[in-house]
Amino acid sequence: MKRKSKRGLGLVAIAASGALVLAGCSSDSGDSAATDGATSSATDEAAVEDGGKTGGTVNILLQSDQILHLDPQRNYTGVDLAFMTGYMQRTLTAYKFAEGAEGVTIVPDMATDLGTPNADATSWAFTIRDGVTFEDGTAVGCADVKYGVSRTFAQDVITDGPTYAISLLDIASTEDGSSVYKGPYLTEGNDVAAFDQAITCSEDNKTITFNLKRPAGDFNYTVTLTAFSPVPAAADTGEGYDNAPVSSGPYKISEYTKGQRMVLVRNEAWNPDSDDYRPAYPDEVVVQFSLDPSAIDQRLIADAGDDQTAVTMAGLTPESLATVFAGGDPRFAERSVDGFDPYVRYYTINSAKVPNKMHRQAIVVALNRAELLTIAGGDFAGTQGDGVIKPNLATDYAESGMWTDLFGGEVPDAGNVELAKQLIADSGEPMPLITFDYPQTPTNDKAAASVQASLAAAGIEVKLNPIEAGQYYGVVLDPEQQNELNSAGWGPDWQNASTVIPELFGANGGFNLSRVDDAEFEALVQTALGTVDRTAQADQWKELNKYAMEQAWAVPTRFGKIQYLWGSKVGNAFLWDAYGSLPFGDLYVMQ
Amino acid sequence: MTAYVIRRILTGVVILILLSMVVFLVFNALPADPAALTCGKSCNPQVIEANRIRLGLDQPLYIQYWEFVRAIFVGRTYGSGTATFQCNAPCLGYSFRKGEEVTPLILKALPVTLWLSFGAFLLWLIPGVLLGIYASRRRGRWQERSVLGAALVGYSFPSFFIGLLLLFFVVIRWQWLPYPNYVSPFEDPVQFLQTMVLPWITLALVYMAFYIRLTRNQLLETYSEDYIRTARAKGLKEGTVIRKHALRAGLTPIVTAAGLDLAGLLGGAIITESIFSLPGVGRLAVEAVVDADLAIITATVLIAGTFIVIANIVVDLLYAVIDPRVRLS
Repeated sequence: MKRKSKRGLGLVAIAASGALVLAGCSSDSGDSAATDGATSSATDEAAVEDGGKTGGTVNILLQSDQILHLDPQRNYTGVDLAFMTGYMQRTLTAYKFAEGAEGVTIVPDMATDLGTPNADATSWAFTIRDGVTFEDGTAVGCADVKYGVSRTFAQDVITDGPTYAISLLDIASTEDGSSVYKGPYLTEGNDVAAFDQAITCSEDNKTITFNLKRPAGDFNYTVTLTAFSPVPAAADTGEGYDNAPVSSGPYKISEYTKGQRMVLVRNEAWNPDSDDYRPAYPDEVVVQFSLDPSAIDQRLIADAGDDQTAVTMAGLTPESLATVFAGGDPRFAERSVDGFDPYVRYYTINSAKVPNKMHRQAIVVALNRAELLTIAGGDFAGTQGDGVIKPNLATDYAESGMWTDLFGGEVPDAGNVELAKQLIADSGEPMPLITFDYPQTPTNDKAAASVQASLAAAGIEVKLNPIEAGQYYGVVLDPEQQNELNSAGWGPDWQNASTVIPELFGANGGFNLSRVDDAEFEALVQTALGTVDRTAQADQWKELNKYAMEQAWAVPTRFGKIQYLWGSKVGNAFLWDAYGSLPFGDLYVMQ
Repeated sequence: MTAYVIRRILTGVVILILLSMVVFLVFNALPADPAALTCGKSCNPQVIEANRIRLGLDQPLYIQYWEFVRAIFVGRTYGSGTATFQCNAPCLGYSFRKGEEVTPLILKALPVTLWLSFGAFLLWLIPGVLLGIYASRRRGRWQERSVLGAALVGYSFPSFFIGLLLLFFVVIRWQWLPYPNYVSPFEDPVQFLQTMVLPWITLALVYMAFYIRLTRNQLLETYSEDYIRTARAKGLKEGTVIRKHALRAGLTPIVTAAGLDLAGLLGGAIITESIFSLPGVGRLAVEAVVDADLAIITATVLIAGTFIVIANIVVDLLYAVIDPRVRLS
């Protein structure tokens, strides 16, 4: 992901503790297993007939001074993806504008269908619809998507973006682990041929085929990321493209002053017949930057004038929650939501430094999670978690049972000190000193003190190691500097636990703070990654989640929540589980 | 006089050069590692290292500094391969966080801060001095006490409190003004005034109290001087006594304070700019510090430093104008 923009100290805390996430989450009701299949028939059902009205201006109020990245290959923040895909950047497939579990299913956008994999899902083909154009009217073809994807490989220019193109496309690596292909900007010492083989275009420039290193049954979810969307080579200025991306959607930028405002107007070149996905209701979208966060809340609460058509990209500040949600104030009931964000907050236990499983389990059961949730902000901050997969990742979630029987006894939210002592006694080894790394914020300091106290009660000595918040992940991702216990947060990159379990505990995982080295587990992960049948795959993720919890590689402290409030004349606003945001592309102004 | 001014300007330039060096040194000594701050999801030591090279932070400090200075005069090329781009002189650097060149960023932010500062300056200085005179004339009476009391209230509230209060009531609750949205006064004078009036009042309320008290105290002190008694004995009008004799003598410390306060504001009224969403130098500086954005930090510190240096020179020159006993040589 990307750190979220700062929203006072509170958000710095969230950013630092939750940071590395991205797109998505999903629904609260977890029973819809349908629709996810790679091969499920895709039709033009994407069109949303919801009584929306054309016209008006949607106002977006932001604290940050800019949208972090408009460059599709650099955009990696859930709400920013929701914004860009909704208005300006077409992708091959996209998440349906819908509440609940339906909102994490995909529909075709630029592609004619949800893609066609080969038998073992190592190759995926998508055909681009007729009539898809850039804002200058030129047709979008396979070559444009291919060029867009190529940019991800220029890691020295295209920073901050997701790197799934590098890890998934069938291109060899050099000795130092980087790709032999270095992106479109380098002419020498660059294996362009390798890239040309990994992505091929049909003669008519309509069909794009991605050849992958390994089976990826959910690759048509991967391409919801704007990193897999088109960029016209002629307009690419490298670094500068971030300020002036070429639109392929129904809106284009007419004004963008960082720190002040961005105005999106209708893109006349956009052909509605080629786009069943975007209703494109408002005539204009105005983003106002650099607003004081409490002023944003107050404006939404007051709901006057233009603010009646206003929404935000960040949740309400804690100070405003009581006003909006307490006592069921009728003024807010219809225009607010309190639900899951995409993130799971958890502490990892470094298995390289705490090799004894029972020691790790002792830490897990001794922790007073009730107190940690209170410190984080109580019910508005989240609910107790029982794994690294959240209920809003509907298909892949199941109760892990870690608090009932996984460790040989019931573990209440306040922890089970006796069980922890028992586990240490049974381990046959003395409990090592535990050093707790965490990003330093006032809230995290309090949480760390709670960790120290609750573990001390079980006879576990904890040393605190606060780290400057902005540096935190840079430090702990370095095995040399990382200690035994670490604070972390994660959300899926797309709506499949393939972006959770392998990333957090897999051998090639980019966020393996638990330093898992378990051949049996890894074999199961590889099997799950290669499983094309989505339901069967989900069952495997559920088991692997439980496996990881039983191994005590991590202890979930919270399934995070977020609260939004919007203006009374905004239609179609709801918590869209695909990105944990409002469905920007679906919003309309009530006339 | 001319020699004096030239000497002072040269000293100022030297101070600014030293200042920029100190910024580089201090920034380098910070625990914050800007390369690590760019560490996204694919964060690992190799990515951090690659970013260090991209940001130019892998170079020794003196080379980084030299590149910075050189860019101001001859510009600089950033990027690699065919994705290079030119930052033309006077190039104060490139902000990778914002994706923009620093020079235009500063040039855009500067007018906002100038308008904010000078507007607030007039709004606090003129009423402040006038009320100070009034209070000194009503010494020991209820008028003096109420002026000083009211001033104390303004003085006691921090600017973020006054600012938020004004914003909540005047803009959000009562809707007397639209939400602040800065435009140049040459583009839309009405919207400009609507945007600026609350920030001006906020700053003025905070600063004015000090000037009321200062003016009053200065005047009360001079009233007891012999030459004032002489002036009055001559039969001069009271207004003339105050204007020509008392005020002029008491003005020196007010000019000093006003000059430095104004210079401080020009360096960025951080809190006020943030509350009222004014895209000025202060807010730019705060964002840069949060993002550990060396290029912008250096530039904003230099801007603030420049104003302080200029203000000091101007204040010294004004001394000579106000008080004939001061000679600049």
